Amino acid sequence: MSRAVRILLTQRIALLAVLIVAVVVTFFVNDAGGYLTAPYDFDYMSAALITAVPLAMLGLAEMLVILSGRGGIDLSVGAIVSLAGMVFGFAYGEWGWPLWLAILATAGFGALLGAVNGFLVSYIGFPALIATLATFYAYKSVAIVINDQQPISTEPIQKLFSISRSVELPLFGQYVPDVPLGIFTFLLPTVVAVWVLLARTAYGRRLYAIGTNDVAARWAGLPVKDTRFKAYVYAGLISGLVAVVTVGQFASARPDAGVSGNGMALPAITIAVLGGVAITGGIGRVAGVVLATLLIVWLNAGILLAFVGNEGSQYQLLALGAVLVFAALLNGLTNRKYGGSAS
Amino acid sequence: MTAVAEAKIKKRVLPSPVTGQEMVLVGVIAVLWAALAVSTPAFLTAGSIQPLLVATAPVALIGVGMTIVIITGGIDVSVGGAIMVCSVLTAKALVEAEVGLAVAVLLSVAAGALLGLVNGVLIAYGRVHAIIITFGTANLFMFLGLRIFGSGTVNGIPGTLAFFGRGPDGRTLGVPHAFLITVLITAAAWWWLRHTAGGRHFFAIGGDAQAARLAGVRVQRRVLLAYVLTGLLVGLASCFVIAQGTSTLDQSVGAGKELAVIAAVVIGGTSIMGGRGSVLGTLLGALLVQSVASGVTQLGWRSQLSDLFVGIFIIVAVGADLLRARARRNR
Repeated sequence: MSRAVRILLTQRIALLAVLIVAVVVTFFVNDAGGYLTAPYDFDYMSAALITAVPLAMLGLAEMLVILSGRGGIDLSVGAIVSLAGMVFGFAYGEWGWPLWLAILATAGFGALLGAVNGFLVSYIGFPALIATLATFYAYKSVAIVINDQQPISTEPIQKLFSISRSVELPLFGQYVPDVPLGIFTFLLPTVVAVWVLLARTAYGRRLYAIGTNDVAARWAGLPVKDTRFKAYVYAGLISGLVAVVTVGQFASARPDAGVSGNGMALPAITIAVLGGVAITGGIGRVAGVVLATLLIVWLNAGILLAFVGNEGSQYQLLALGAVLVFAALLNGLTNRKYGGSAS
Repeated sequence: MTAVAEAKIKKRVLPSPVTGQEMVLVGVIAVLWAALAVSTPAFLTAGSIQPLLVATAPVALIGVGMTIVIITGGIDVSVGGAIMVCSVLTAKALVEAEVGLAVAVLLSVAAGALLGLVNGVLIAYGRVHAIIITFGTANLFMFLGLRIFGSGTVNGIPGTLAFFGRGPDGRTLGVPHAFLITVLITAAAWWWLRHTAGGRHFFAIGGDAQAARLAGVRVQRRVLLAYVLTGLLVGLASCFVIAQGTSTLDQSVGAGKELAVIAAVVIGGTSIMGGRGSVLGTLLGALLVQSVASGVTQLGWRSQLSDLFVGIFIIVAVGADLLRARARRNR
């Protein structure tokens, strides 16, 4: 028994899995009791996954930079989404580039914006919080000014909305709910790519090494600056891809897409931390971030049905904040009780 | 010991009263104001400078608390949510209970202190990194604020708080009260941080919390105090925010303010790593940011362009600080 408790407390993935089951069961019971405004079933859960696409991708982007250590964090991902989205709007919507080239250019542009962050942090030595705060302001401003505050929603952009539709899976598709297309075209490739990068390449091992102890890594002869720099470039690249997803979802390239309201950076950092990424660097896994996304997405989807009107979106804030504080306190507790790292 | 040697030791114990960063900021603001005065004759008039000072006040005031928090090695990204809670609570009290000026300020400050207490307890005793806790409480505070808002805006706010506002009631001898209060509080905090043991403790904690604890500093209490102080100032700043606004308060109040405050602190030369910083620099940083915003508008440019300059200022200010630190190390 105490062993099970210990695993739950120290293995973030086990805890998240249990929480997901608890959330889903809770809402199924509520649904059966007729307390929800609409049915909470597998179809609904599947449709809700569309919001998981940008959330999980940006969560992975944050994970890469937080892993790199020395206070690594990226406040600018939302602003990159806005600015890269405008570039995509111009390339695909105004200049008529082919779709693959426009996506490639957008991702490349995102990587370029990430490279500015990486250069400032890794080669000049800016604290990451400050460098990305500065670029957040700069990118946000340029994104709004570049097209005179106007969104781009020409015909090709509007037709892009089809990439956020749900599709029936081949072979056994009629037995399971339709799944949003963005899961396959953007989310899964990103998840697999980041997993391979971290778990199966020398670069991944270097990233964990510099995040754990960058002085030791430097004496071991690792290219610390280059490794940290690339983490920010990859984060920018992923943000560029999220820009394409976001333009598709809105059917419009909006200049404030990634920064309106609370912006996209805060939820992404929350997801990464909830997924067990240690803010001090060197600890964190892809599976944790993916599970944390599923937990938040399905929790939010259920909350939306449990309340009438805009109360639901308010209680989503409560849930996100409470879950984050709970997870953070739990990290502190397990660190003291069991020592070592709670990943 | 000769007087010269004594003076030397004193100089070593305390950094110089005005840092290089602050001198540079004064220079930059002077050049900026001069350039704006030349290009738009309307800039250097009371009608233009007074609103500029009033608008600087909330960010600079919260910046005093944020500077102390950052000196201890922490950060508070929940001030935007806290502004929302304090201002909607106060606005509702003004409209529905028709409270007076003193009650409204007390209410707002008490609410802010309570929110700061939540942050402080979690950070000081939960032993979790401040940025994570305050990201969490930011969401909780926004939830609280939106619940108090109900479904819409708060309408018909009376002019009870005009003492802090832009109008003639908000000025004495041409000086806006909101700015005057901010300057006085900044000066008091400057003295406290520089010349009292309690103030120096914050620097000790930011330099090395473990060493500070062994030297007898009650680290957890000091950290708690830093967040409560920030909350208090958020409460007072929220009264300024209401006073500057129209008779309607909408749900976007406070959004993004945490980053604006952190930007002012950082431009003012406070090190985000803790252990070094000055509230005077924060006031100048806030004034610079607001001057740019005002200048961009008066030149007829798009107002969002000022954010680009904020970004550039952060890079230049911190970059210069990094270069100076490198020069110090190499000497």
